Amino acid sequence: MLRIANGEVYDPTNGVNGEVRDVWVEGGRIVAPPQSERERDEAQVIDASGGVVMAGGVEIHSHVVGAKVNSGRKFRPEDHRDHERVRTAITRSGAGYTTPTTFMTGYMYAEMGYTTVMEAATAPLVARHSHEELDDTPMVDKGMLVTMANNHFVMRKLAEGRRDEARDYVAWLLDVTKGYGVKMVNPGGVENWKWHENVGELDDAVIGFDVTPRKIIVGLAEAAQELGLPHPIHLHTINLGSNGNYRTTIETMEAVEGRQLHICHIQFFSYKGQRGQVMRSGAQEVAEAVNRHPNVTVDVGQVLFGPVTTMTSDGPLEYKLHMLTGNKWLNDDMEAEGGGGIVPMQYKAGNIANATQWAIGLELFLLINDPWRVYLTTDHPNGGPFFMYPHLIHMLMDRGFRAEQLSKINARAAQRSILSQLDREYSLYEIAILTRAGTARRLGLVNKGHLGVGADADITIYNKALDDIEGMFGRPRYVLKGGQVVVRDGRIVQVVQGRTLVVKAHWDRSILEQARAHFEHYYTISFDNYAVQDEYLHETQIIRAGGC
Amino acid sequence: MEEITLRLKEPGSIPIEADSINPDLFLERSREEVEKLPVYYGRRKLALGDLFEVEGGNSASVVVEGELEQVKKIGWKMRQGRILVRGNPGMHLGAYMSGGEIVVEGNAGDWLGAHMRGGTIRVKGNAGHQVGAGYRGERQGVKGGTIVVEGNAGNEVGLLMRRGLIAVGGDVGDFTGGAMIAGSIVTFGKVGIRTGAGMKRGSIVLLGDPEPELLPTFYYDCRYRPVFLGFYLRHLRSLGLPVQDEHITGYYLRHNGDITSLGKGEILIYSKAEHPL
Repeated sequence: MLRIANGEVYDPTNGVNGEVRDVWVEGGRIVAPPQSERERDEAQVIDASGGVVMAGGVEIHSHVVGAKVNSGRKFRPEDHRDHERVRTAITRSGAGYTTPTTFMTGYMYAEMGYTTVMEAATAPLVARHSHEELDDTPMVDKGMLVTMANNHFVMRKLAEGRRDEARDYVAWLLDVTKGYGVKMVNPGGVENWKWHENVGELDDAVIGFDVTPRKIIVGLAEAAQELGLPHPIHLHTINLGSNGNYRTTIETMEAVEGRQLHICHIQFFSYKGQRGQVMRSGAQEVAEAVNRHPNVTVDVGQVLFGPVTTMTSDGPLEYKLHMLTGNKWLNDDMEAEGGGGIVPMQYKAGNIANATQWAIGLELFLLINDPWRVYLTTDHPNGGPFFMYPHLIHMLMDRGFRAEQLSKINARAAQRSILSQLDREYSLYEIAILTRAGTARRLGLVNKGHLGVGADADITIYNKALDDIEGMFGRPRYVLKGGQVVVRDGRIVQVVQGRTLVVKAHWDRSILEQARAHFEHYYTISFDNYAVQDEYLHETQIIRAGGC
Repeated sequence: MEEITLRLKEPGSIPIEADSINPDLFLERSREEVEKLPVYYGRRKLALGDLFEVEGGNSASVVVEGELEQVKKIGWKMRQGRILVRGNPGMHLGAYMSGGEIVVEGNAGDWLGAHMRGGTIRVKGNAGHQVGAGYRGERQGVKGGTIVVEGNAGNEVGLLMRRGLIAVGGDVGDFTGGAMIAGSIVTFGKVGIRTGAGMKRGSIVLLGDPEPELLPTFYYDCRYRPVFLGFYLRHLRSLGLPVQDEHITGYYLRHNGDITSLGKGEILIYSKAEHPL
């Protein structure tokens, strides 16, 4: 038995706000304090005095593994040069700044106190690759969201009004890809991109399919709800990065009519202004809409200044970024499932558009009232690399520091922003919600993100240093994974594999025949070779969806 | 000034990283101190004296002898002095050098003068691939200095070059001047394919290949006599390269590209025959 003694505990799920108390661990789980004196005395003690105890961080949206991320790595040798990590007796070597190699990604998340990471987008066709890389991402429990919004079969079934069959196919896709949830990227827009078009409104037509973005969003939101998936649809909606998109973002929240919805990197969907001009902030309108819709959660996708690698399944967007920046561009077609692209970029504080994006992200954090419904992300590596979270937390917790940062950005962007009027400061309790309690709850991970009895013993102990918040969150005193100390003073002391989180939902076998016919017509891969074999999973936790 | 001579004791197959063979470090060191400078023998850290016989001290004039194929990084980051290599040195010779001179009496390996900033390298024999190139992942390569190879060179000569002069007396491989940003490359023999691929600015002069296979993203401009070239060629002749009088007085076909990039680069092809204007 292990006793984490005398730490200030922040456990929002169980309403614990900074109380100094002990946390007891046994068999990789958190247990109730032992009754007998003897057990108390014999327990191994980790000293957390002067420290802050939280559950391990839970990442809800980050691009860390898979075909797209790996293309980003191969595509950017300049991202690797001078960013190498030498191997140690226990850790492997690695390289990369915005797109670190898999092992390094795992180490860096753990060194920051994160113990669970959700890969944000994998096309079903390349799920096998993603699993191989998840396997090589140590230290954290991990899963992946599977893109389905531009899937030909799904769209066809929704067009035919066969929502039950679309739902079965969704469940089947999750099953064969061994995924965790339903990701949706620019519904219909990625399909239209194959014809050099896009969608701009929720009711625009999808070429070749009698559906609209609205129909796809509602159809899949309903499917996810009926299947009882632990995480609702994870939506990258239409018009990412376009001026005036705040309107379609709000329309999207209304479109699902009360169904559960998570909108990712909403900062990129909160722009006002005319086409061809610099965007203006739509943060107030979007934040108000989020506040109005209790069924909606968001993660912010904060922009942080410095180099990034934009990568998304949103093909037309990447083309736009390529035309805008002139930087190298990779475009990708996922036959009957979607597409994607990659463009490296640099966010500059002096650039009015980048500075405005930066301000919009912070405005959203500060204007959305309920911390349980807004999560801390940078859409790594699109808005900024994940290891800059401590910097972002510092800006959220410290008004003075935020003002100082604001004074360094483009003056016109700073003038336009209402950021200087926002006095809100996040407390440690609220940061714990943004980074673990809230994200775990939204992902449906009942044993994560909290320190109640029965929870996984994924625990982070930070040194309480409110005068050095970046140091505090950047170098935890201890990180425990499954009850074992894996990080000490911000350095890896033990490597663990971590489990792959897989969701299983019920599907009707009648879908198989149709799926096979579909594959014979439209796929380059045979139906029998499509499913990811069980051998790809090693340490796994299977989560059964509602009706199963 | 007395010379320092380093003679490799035993040739072997294990790579030696000898970035301590640098006149900057030798100038104020006695023989004993030179012998103590660190050198990597495979993964083992040894002293220079363990692998080389050292004669002389306190000098910036260095002679390196022996079977040097596995000895890498000679003259790494050197700023002054002279290194004479009697043998065939390994990779990265003179990489990052910013001053002084290196003369090779044999053949040089790959990455000769990578990221060079100044000074001169002269190779009497052939050189490997990536002569005067930028390392993988870098945005800019050579930023100054002169590299003269009297024999042939391999692929990717002057890759990512930003400034400076590279002259090759013999043939070169593919991707000569690839992704070049500025600077000059002069070749006296045949060139491989994709010369100047992705180049932004800069000049690639082909004296010995009248009909190279150019990329379709280079287009023909004109036939003319570039004034600047006369000065360059006289300088190269003084360095011992086979510049003929016709090269100086003759006409060149100018090709402009690479238009997939900025498109302000040029490939100048010496045209012997009278061109119908």
